[in-house]
Amino acid sequence: MPRLKNKDTMNSISLAKTFAQNPDRRYIMFGGKGGLGKTTFSAAAAYHLAKKGFRVLVFSVDPQASLSDIFEKDIFGKGPTEIMPNLFAQEIDADQRVKAYQQEIRQKILDMYGMDKIPDEIESYLQAAAAEPAMEESAIFDEVVEIVIKKDYDYYIYDLVPLGHALYYLSMASVYDAWISKITQLREQMREYDQVAAVVRREKELSEDAILNELLYIKERINTSSSILTDKKKTAFYFVITPEEMVIKDTIKAAELFTKFDVPLSGYIINRVLPPELRQQNIPEYLKNRIAMQDHYMKVIRDTFGSQILTSVPEMERDVTGLPMIEKVARAMFGNSA
Amino acid sequence: MNSIVVLLLGFAVAIVGYRFYAKYIDAKIVKCDSKKTTPAVMYMDGVDFMPTNKNVLFGYQFKSIAGAGPIVGPIIAIQWGWLPAVLWILIGTFFIGWVQDYSSAMIAMRHEGASFGGLSYKLISPRSRLVLVSFIYFYLLLMVGAFGNIVVSTAVGLKASPSAWLVMTIAGVLAGQMIYRWKKDILLTTVVTVVIALCGIWFGTMAPSDRLLGTDLSNSRLLWALAAFVFCYFASVLPIWRFALPINYVSSYVMFIGLLFGIVGIFILHPDFTLPAYTGFMIPIGPLWPIMFVTIACGAVSGWHSIVSSSGTARQLESEMDVRPVCGGVMFAEMVLALFALIIAGTIYASPAEYGAAVSKGPGAVFAAGVAKFLGAVGLSPALGKSYGSMMMIIVAITLMQLVVRFMRVATAELLGDISPLFRNIHVGTVLASLMGIVLVLTGWWQYLWVLFGGANQLMASVALLLVSVWLTSEGKKAGWVIYPMIFMFITTITALLYTSYDLLHKVYTGAAKGTEAMIGNTIMGCAGFFLVITAVILAMDGVKALRKYRVLKLQSTESHA
Amino acid sequence: MTEKIKEQDLEKKKSGILQAVKEFVYGAAAHDSARYALKTRASMEHLFILITMGDMLGVPILPPYYSLRLLPYVVPQISTWKRRMLREKDLMDALA
Repeated sequence: MPRLKNKDTMNSISLAKTFAQNPDRRYIMFGGKGGLGKTTFSAAAAYHLAKKGFRVLVFSVDPQASLSDIFEKDIFGKGPTEIMPNLFAQEIDADQRVKAYQQEIRQKILDMYGMDKIPDEIESYLQAAAAEPAMEESAIFDEVVEIVIKKDYDYYIYDLVPLGHALYYLSMASVYDAWISKITQLREQMREYDQVAAVVRREKELSEDAILNELLYIKERINTSSSILTDKKKTAFYFVITPEEMVIKDTIKAAELFTKFDVPLSGYIINRVLPPELRQQNIPEYLKNRIAMQDHYMKVIRDTFGSQILTSVPEMERDVTGLPMIEKVARAMFGNSA
Repeated sequence: MNSIVVLLLGFAVAIVGYRFYAKYIDAKIVKCDSKKTTPAVMYMDGVDFMPTNKNVLFGYQFKSIAGAGPIVGPIIAIQWGWLPAVLWILIGTFFIGWVQDYSSAMIAMRHEGASFGGLSYKLISPRSRLVLVSFIYFYLLLMVGAFGNIVVSTAVGLKASPSAWLVMTIAGVLAGQMIYRWKKDILLTTVVTVVIALCGIWFGTMAPSDRLLGTDLSNSRLLWALAAFVFCYFASVLPIWRFALPINYVSSYVMFIGLLFGIVGIFILHPDFTLPAYTGFMIPIGPLWPIMFVTIACGAVSGWHSIVSSSGTARQLESEMDVRPVCGGVMFAEMVLALFALIIAGTIYASPAEYGAAVSKGPGAVFAAGVAKFLGAVGLSPALGKSYGSMMMIIVAITLMQLVVRFMRVATAELLGDISPLFRNIHVGTVLASLMGIVLVLTGWWQYLWVLFGGANQLMASVALLLVSVWLTSEGKKAGWVIYPMIFMFITTITALLYTSYDLLHKVYTGAAKGTEAMIGNTIMGCAGFFLVITAVILAMDGVKALRKYRVLKLQSTESHA
Repeated sequence: MTEKIKEQDLEKKKSGILQAVKEFVYGAAAHDSARYALKTRASMEHLFILITMGDMLGVPILPPYYSLRLLPYVVPQISTWKRRMLREKDLMDALA
């Protein structure tokens, strides 16, 4: 078997190559089961790109604030925060977002109607709607839309939480889109009747339908973000896997769903690979077994995913937190090439 | 006696009634309040409640209530002589007609725009609502039969009718397209489509023959009945903006023009009455009282107005100050319209025999002849005038007829929809209503049908007055100005309905009714009449109970205050 | 001077009468059509509000985030909408 070092170099060129060969792929997502290293890789990839001179934003909606942990800086709910030159990290506080949004709406109502106070029934509706579980997920959805369509950064790295989150996101996008289309249609029909009444009464031009404009605006946003995230040329999605049976099985299932939904799956990254040279050292029996098992699963992985494997990253000697460790992972991922 | 005298008398009565009597009631008893917010303003949901300018509402109210009623009624009623008719038109409107129209709107307005159904539930008794709705269903059926009959009898025997009506329909559909789809300037649409409709009337006079495919088009009652109901079918089933609304739009202008020039013609010719002022108490149709009173419904008292006032106008009035001008004013205007119809019937024939021959063919023939004569005074040829007059008669009859068929479709869905979803289907509901209507049209002799309809109509008015009486009493307001008219109407209409129904059924029983057609028709009409009487009596009984209850309550409260 | 005022008064009266006649003609011929179009539109608006804010009446709706965005525009109609949705209707309403 070729030594890890060589494989390392060969494979890491692969990941770095994909990045270099696809400069338009500005939206990167790392997905996979929990605890396998997505956040680590997101941070490392961001580091790598930032060092190369690109402005990078790495963001997450994880309420457990793993990005804050990994960068050793509390960035939860604080908007894009600079970690180092060119590297920005953001953790979306959904709760805070919802509250801020509520306030936005309140202010708009007060401004539009010159009121001093929001009417009671409107206020109670505002609060009831905000308390709905669906509100949080659609708020997160919109926050992602917001980030994706702004063009402030060269690269966007999205640290997804659950395995199928991307799928969930895209299916939500299509549901919202269908809903908006239906009610936009309704709104347009209403405008027809307005025009008829204006004709019969010989009235002048109708004023614009503000709601219709809002609907079109929302539709535009959703479509723009969806189209970006399903465009293979613009978006890359990497699965993180480890050489373990359950992980491999679940990943295969997920991969099938992804092809069904036409999500641009760009490759796999193997994490937590125990260095095989450990075998040469004097190690306990269970470790020897582990490495033997790992070998087996690595073969399975290679057989199953073949050339889609882009790199494998070794188990680090300690928790990956703080920029020095992140740099180490980045080098493992992308090789020493600048 | 010169007819203009009668007209001037009418104007005088209208002015006095409106400016003195109505004003007094409005200000002192009902106490209309300009500061009170009307339901239209308060709710303004844009669907049912929409505040509207009073001049617009005047036009809307006038159009909604001025159907065939004020025209046909006087034309028939002149058989007792023109004097009783004039007296009933003037006195009826003065004491009862405007009272009903006005108070129906007022009661609805003061109850947050509630409909009669809701009001009877609240003020009289829970079961009264159901009774009222079933009453209304039969009332509508009689209306369809009566008006359908007018359409058919007017169209039959006039060569011009088929083409004139067809062209008018086409003009209407075109107007719908121009307004709703192409969104053309309304002035352009109006001019184009009205001109087309007028051409149709003129074109009709040049119709070479009315034999099509071997059938005598203009003389087949069956064919015309079918045509009328096919028209109503389309009106009921098609989207309202495609057919019903725009045809109404175009026909309004045809009516305006005809009325305007006709009235000018009457003033130019100022003819004398040729028919007798009084012929006798008892004539073939029945005794002067109660039958003549129900014959002239619209033009004196008509329950249809109360429905329009409460469910339609009341929800659009901007201010309580508008009720007297809109609802009261329109009634007085209709009174004058009825006088015009009376003048037509009373002045164009050389002798009662001539009149008799004409009216047996149908009221349309009389009206058409009248219009022909008076439009002739402004220069139209008699043939053209006759065609125009017939078209006007058809318009006023079919406009309401198709509306009613539509209602009946809705009523069927509402009343029977729970029994089977089939009844909710728009086609089923329409066909059902149409079938019943056709049977009535083909089997009922139109004068009897008209009397029954008039009776039902005024029974509706009695019910409306009952509601108002209960309301006023419950508020401790003086109600005499409503209660006495109500009592009079109840007695008159129930007697009229009983008399006519009995007469009809008696004829079937004794075999005086000849032919199966007559037998079926008489039976249906007779039964309908009895059914209406029964429902009205139930409503009256519940109403009296409610009146007593409120009177007692009021007495108690005044006692406790003492 | 008074002559001019009289003339102006007369002009005003004439235009007032003319205006009233126009309104009458509109009311008789066209009001129905305009009213129908507006009624239909308002009906659809209520449907629209139901779809987006039906929550207020207990009807579950889809993305609350985007519905909320539309809330400011329908604030004035909320109470009339509620009232109409919940109002008891009967046959007579069809006659209106």
